[in-house]
Formats: sequence, C-alpha cells, structure tokens
Amino acid sequence: MHAVKRVEIIANSSELAKILEGLNAAGAPGYTVIRNVTGKGIMGNISDDEVTTLSNVYVLCYCAEDKIKPIVEAIRPILNKFGGVCYVSDAMEIRSVRCVSHL
Amino acid sequence: MDFSLISSNILSPPVLFFFLGMLAVLLKSDLEIPQPLPKLFSLYLLFAIGFKGGIELVKSGVNQEVALTLLAAIIMACFVPVYTFFILKAKLDTYNAAAIAATYGSISAVTFITASSFLQELGIDFDGFMVAALALMESPAIIVGLVLVNLFTADRESGNQINWPEVLQEAFLNSSVFLLVGSLIIGVLTGTHGEEVLKPFSQGIFYGVLTFFLLDMGLVAARRLRDLSKTGPFLIAFSVVIPLLNATLGILIAKVIGMSQGDALLFAVLCASASYIAVPAAMRLTVPEANPSLYVTTALALTFPFNIIVGIPLYLYGIQFLWR
Repeated sequence: MHAVKRVEIIANSSELAKILEGLNAAGAPGYTVIRNVTGKGIMGNISDDEVTTLSNVYVLCYCAEDKIKPIVEAIRPILNKFGGVCYVSDAMEIRSVRCVSHL
Repeated sequence: MDFSLISSNILSPPVLFFFLGMLAVLLKSDLEIPQPLPKLFSLYLLFAIGFKGGIELVKSGVNQEVALTLLAAIIMACFVPVYTFFILKAKLDTYNAAAIAATYGSISAVTFITASSFLQELGIDFDGFMVAALALMESPAIIVGLVLVNLFTADRESGNQINWPEVLQEAFLNSSVFLLVGSLIIGVLTGTHGEEVLKPFSQGIFYGVLTFFLLDMGLVAARRLRDLSKTGPFLIAFSVVIPLLNATLGILIAKVIGMSQGDALLFAVLCASASYIAVPAAMRLTVPEANPSLYVTTALALTFPFNIIVGIPLYLYGIQFLWR
C-alpha cells in the first residue's frame, strides 16, 4: 500500500465538463463520476431530477500528492464561479494493478 | 366562459397523471420514477413531435402563412425577454431579472405537446410547421438574456466577459433543440415512408409516454413548490400574469396573420410557456450569479401547471371567441 490523495468534488451537473477538463489539464490520472447526486447544501435541498438539468454530480479522484496543487488551481476558479465544494484528504492505495499483472 | 373546455382538459389522462404526481409528493408517498427514465421520455417526446412535424411540413408545404408564423415566433422570442426584463428589474437584480426573462422568452416543449394532444382530442386541426416555430423559439431568448446581462451589468464590463462560443453552443446545440430540429429534418426527408415505418413507435405509444412523463413532471413540480417561499409574492404573481399577457399577444398576432384556431392555440401556448430544460442549463453556465431556484421554480412549479391545467383551455376559449 502507498499514500495517495483523495479529491472529492460535488458540483452542479452543468459544470461537469469544465471540472473534468480542469482535472485532465492538471494531470489527474483518472476519476470517477457519479450523477444524480442528492443531498443538502448551502442552497438548500438538491434534487436529482434531470428534467431541469440542475442535478448535482460527485467527482472522485485519487492522485499522487504532487498533483494536488495543479488540481486545486484548476478546480478552484470553476467552483468560485459556479459553486460547488471540493475536499482533499489522505488515502491509501492498494497496488491492485501489480496484483492483477501477477495472476 | 366555456367550462367544458377546462373540464375536458383536466379530465384527460396526462393532466390527471400530473395531478397524481403532485399528490404523491404532497402526501409523502415514496413514488419515484428512476433516473434517467424521465430524460428518455423527454427525448422521446421531442423526437416524436419533431418527426411528426417534419412529415406534416412536407404535406402542408411552405407558404406565406408559414413564413409569417415563423417570423412572428422569432420576434416574440426576442421581445418577451426584453419587456419582462424591465418589469423584473423593478424588484430583482440584473442577473436574476435577465435569467427569469430568458426563461419566459423561451418555450416549454411539454406544454406545446400537451396542447397538441388537447387539440387532437377535441378534433381541432393544426399544422406541422408549428413544430418549426417551437424549435425557433427555444434559443433566441438565451441570447437576448445574455445581451441584457452584458448591457446592464458593470461587473461584466470590468473583465468578466461572456464566453460567446459557449453561449451559442448551448443556445443552438443543446440536446432538446438539436434533437427537435434533427427529427424535423428527418421527418421532412423521409416523408410518408418514414411515417409508415415508425408509426407504432412515433405515434402508437406517444400518448402513453406523454402521460407517464407528466406523472414525473407532477413529482418534480410538487417538489419545487417548497421553493416558492424563496420567490415571494411578486414572482408568484409574475408567473401567472405574464403567461396570460403573452398568450393574449400571441392570440392577437395569430389573428392578424390569419392562423387557424389550432395553430393559434399552439402559438399562444408557445408565447405563454416558460423553459425549464434548455434555458436553466444555459443560464447555470453563463449567468451563475442568478439563483436557479427562482427561474426554475417560477417556470416549473407555477407557470407550467397553470398553462397545462387552466391556460390551454382558457386560451382556446379566447381564440374561439375572437375567431367567431
């Protein structure tokens, strides 16, 4: 196992393209997107209806520590303009790719 | 007033299922339509109405009435956001006023589809080219709304400029406009052959999908009712009075152009309806300063139910009175 950083972004679905563009530009190795995320934020309850195209998305990204600064620099202006939250925390990665290669 | 029009509208399955959806939320039932089925239903409705419109357009051909109707549609889509913006500016900031004005300048495809179903039930004919008017009225309001933001906001002048390629992309190539126009063109190209081939899909299940989609719209609209406290009495009054005013303008224009009663109703409904699909998406991206709960709630929780329950039969009554 080795240490990595976990980046979690919750934002409006209309910002998804910009967020993914920012993650790619900052050199994020990959990400996971979960759509129609509901909950409660500073704007009140968030609905998951796609009819109004105002549902939220959850973007999860794991990366090496040296990638955090460019990722935060890319994401911060997008969230500043359109709203949303981003959290960075520590995580441990199991080197699963190596395990598979040994099978 | 002919109340039989209102009762025949209210007692139609789509409208009753809309009520059922609202009731489910108000009574705290766990009824839910799993995502992304409602999205599929809305895409199906746009495909079906666009495709049918294209076929009808081939049958009716393009003449002076068609050209005048489409011109009137574009003029109304540009005029409504401008005049409503100045009304809204009396109580709201520029961002929210422009976003709500754009919402009301654009149209609701589902209201249009509900009105065309209502006409079909009553046996009143309408022309296929009205779908072209629907497609043409969706985008201009987004552009006008953003021009208004640019003109009336000092902040935008000081560097926070609008990304016009993005705006135009969202206005003219958003999924609903793209699918509607694409289906219309395919309908024109395939004509009666296409109609025969796709009849079971494009017409056979249309009414059922519309009914089920309105069940979901009832759920969504009722959930949005909670946000009405944020909008306040001014916007609540606005979302009922402005559709009536716009429908009246639409009916008068339809009378001047010489539209048939069916076409006049669809035109009035286009003028009276407000967008809750294309415009909110565009405004969220381009005017993030505006509060979505204001423009979505007024369009979806108030104007949409008002139009499909009371507006459509009321506008038809006005048309039948004027055309007598």
